[in-house]
Amino acid sequence: MELRGVVKEFDDGRVKALRGLDLTIMGGEPVAIIGPSGCGKSTLLQIIGALDRPTSGEVLFDAQPLQARRNLAAFRAREIGFIFQSFHLIPTLTAAENVEVPMFEIGLSRKARRARAVDLLESVGLGHRLEHLPAQLSGGERQRVAVARSLANTPRLLLADEPTGNLDSASASRIIELLVEIHRLHATTMVIVTHDPRVATRVGRVVHMLDGSIVSDGPIETENRT
Amino acid sequence: MTIAGMVWRNLFRRRTRTLLTVLGISVGVAAVVALIGFAQGLEKVWQEAYKARGTDLVVTKVTSRSPLPVPFEQRALQEFLDCPSIEASAALLSDMMGVEDSSAVLVFGWEKPSFLWDHLRFLEGRAPESGASREAAIGRIAASSLGKKIGDIIQIEFEEFTVSGIFESPALVENGAIVLPLEQMQAATGREGKVNFLNLRLKDPPTGVAEVKARLEKLHQGFSALDSAEVASRNSGIEIVRAMSWATSLLALFVGMFGVTNTMLMSVFERVKEIGILLAIGWRRARVMGMILLESLLLSLIGGVFGLLIGICIARALETADLLRGRLKADIGPGLFLVAMSLSVALGLLAGVYPAWRASRLQPGDALRSE
Ligand SMILES: Nc1ncnc2c1ncn2[C@@H]1O[C@H](COP(=O)(O)OP(=O)(O)OP(=O)(O)O)[C@@H](O)[C@H]1O
Ligand SMILES: [Mg+2]
Repeated sequence: MELRGVVKEFDDGRVKALRGLDLTIMGGEPVAIIGPSGCGKSTLLQIIGALDRPTSGEVLFDAQPLQARRNLAAFRAREIGFIFQSFHLIPTLTAAENVEVPMFEIGLSRKARRARAVDLLESVGLGHRLEHLPAQLSGGERQRVAVARSLANTPRLLLADEPTGNLDSASASRIIELLVEIHRLHATTMVIVTHDPRVATRVGRVVHMLDGSIVSDGPIETENRT
Repeated sequence: MTIAGMVWRNLFRRRTRTLLTVLGISVGVAAVVALIGFAQGLEKVWQEAYKARGTDLVVTKVTSRSPLPVPFEQRALQEFLDCPSIEASAALLSDMMGVEDSSAVLVFGWEKPSFLWDHLRFLEGRAPESGASREAAIGRIAASSLGKKIGDIIQIEFEEFTVSGIFESPALVENGAIVLPLEQMQAATGREGKVNFLNLRLKDPPTGVAEVKARLEKLHQGFSALDSAEVASRNSGIEIVRAMSWATSLLALFVGMFGVTNTMLMSVFERVKEIGILLAIGWRRARVMGMILLESLLLSLIGGVFGLLIGICIARALETADLLRGRLKADIGPGLFLVAMSLSVALGLLAGVYPAWRASRLQPGDALRSE
C-alpha cells in the first residue's frame, strides 16, 4: 500500500485535512497512527479504505492505483475490513447477522454465511451472544462484533479508527489482544488510528501526524514500550 | 439471514409509520377492488339479464348506447324478422318511471306472448293478463321495497295497476323492476307501437349471429344487433361507471404511492449512517438500491393484500345496503385480484425508485460522518 502526495481538502480548499502525504505500508505490517484531534487521521484512513477520494495525489494498492479500479465496492468488500470508534453496527440485526452483512458481496450461501459468522463470533469470544441485538450488548462486546464483521471476508488490510476510543480499559485491552492475535494468525496488514498508548506499544511502527502532515515515522523508541 | 429478512425487520422499526403507509396503499387497492368490482358487476348483471331471457341478439337503434335506448316503430323491422335463422323475437319497451313514492323504478313492457316471460319464476300469483284488466307483475325486491302484495293497487306515473304476481328472476335488474304487458306500457308512456329493444332467439346461435347481423345491416340502416356481451360493454352507462371507477381508484392509488415514496425517503434519510456503513463494508450501490426497492415493494404489497380484503368487505357490505340489495353484485374474481396485486407491485417499485436512487448516491465517507 502506497500513498503519494495525497492531499485532501474540504469545502473547496478552505479546510486542508491532508497536506501532501507520502506513506508506504508493507504487506503484513501493523502501523499505528497517532496525533492530536483534527490532524487528519480519520480522513487518511477513509482515503486508504477507498471511502473517499483524495483531492490530489495517488493511492496504490498492490502497486495499482485505486482510482483506476473499476469496482471500488468489490475492492472494499474483499480486501478491506473496517473497525470504527463507535462500532457502527446495524441496530436491527443480531450480532451474527451483523457479521454476515459483508458476506453478501462474496456470494456465500445462506448456510455458509451463518456458519462463518458463528465461527468468527466464537473466535472473538462471543459464541454465547449470537442472537443479541447491538443494544443488548456492552460496548466491548459490540466492538468485538465489529472486529468479527471486519474479518468476514478475510481482508488483507484492516483499518481501525480509534477502536478502543469508546471503551473502558479492560474492554480496550481485550480488543487490542484480539487485533494482535489476528495479526499473528493471518499476517493481516493493519492501520490503527489511536490515542491509546497501549496500542502504539504493541505495534512495530508508529506514524505521528500533525496538522495534515506526517511529522515522524518509525519504530517506537524503547523507553515508550514499558 | 437474507436481505429480504433485513428489509422485513426494517418495517417494524417505525410501526405506526409503516401501518399508515400500508393503509394508504390499501385504500387505493380497496377502491380498485370495490369500484371496479361494481363496474364489472354492473356489466355482468346486464349480460346475465340477456342470457337469462334466452336472448342471443339484441336489436336497438344504433345511435343509442344508453341503457334505455330511444324507442322505434316496431313495424319498421317486420321485413328483417322474416328470416329462417331467427327462431323467435320478443319486443320490449323499458323506461325509468315514477312509481308511488319512488322516482325511478325500471319498468318493462314485454310483448305477450313471447319467450321473455319464460324465465320469470312466480313466487306468488301469475303473469299479468293483457287486455283491459291493467295488471302488473313486480320483482321480488321491488315488492318488498314498495311494500306491495298480490291484489294491491300500484300507481305507475298516473296510471293504476293491480299486482297480479310477484316474481324472481335470474337477471338481478329485473328483481327490482316492474313488468307490464307491452301494449299497456306503450299506453302508459304514450308510445303506442314503439319499442326500444328487440330480443332475438336464433336457431343456431354460433353461426347465425353473423348472418343475422349482416341481414340487419343490409335491410335496415341505423339499427345494430349486438350479442349480450357487446350490449353490456357498449352500454354508455356502464362505460361511464367503469371510467369513473378507474379514475377514482387510480387517484387513490397514486396518493397511496406518494405515501410510500415519502415514507421511504424519510427512512433513507434516517438511515444515512447505516447506508454509509453498508457501503463502507463493501455493499455495491446496486445492492443498496435493491434493498430500498424491496422495502418499498414490500410496503406496497402488504398494502395490496390488506386493500384486497378491505375492498371485498366494502363490496359485500354495499351489496347488502338498501340501495343495491338484489340489484347489483360486485364481480370480484381472480382477474381483479391479479390486477390489484400487479398494480400494487408496480406502484411499490415506482414509489421506491427515487428513494433508492438517493440512497445509492450517498458517499460512504460523508454518510459515516453524519450524526
Ligand atoms: N467532510 C468534511 N468537511 C469539512 N471538513 C472536514 C470534513 N471531514 C473532516 N474535516 C476536517 O478535516 C480535519 C481532519 O479531520 P479528521 O476527522 O481526519 O481528524 P482526526 O485526526 O480524525 O481527529 P479526531 O482525532 O478528533 O478523530 C478536521 O479539521 C476536520 O474538521
Ligand atoms: Mg477521527
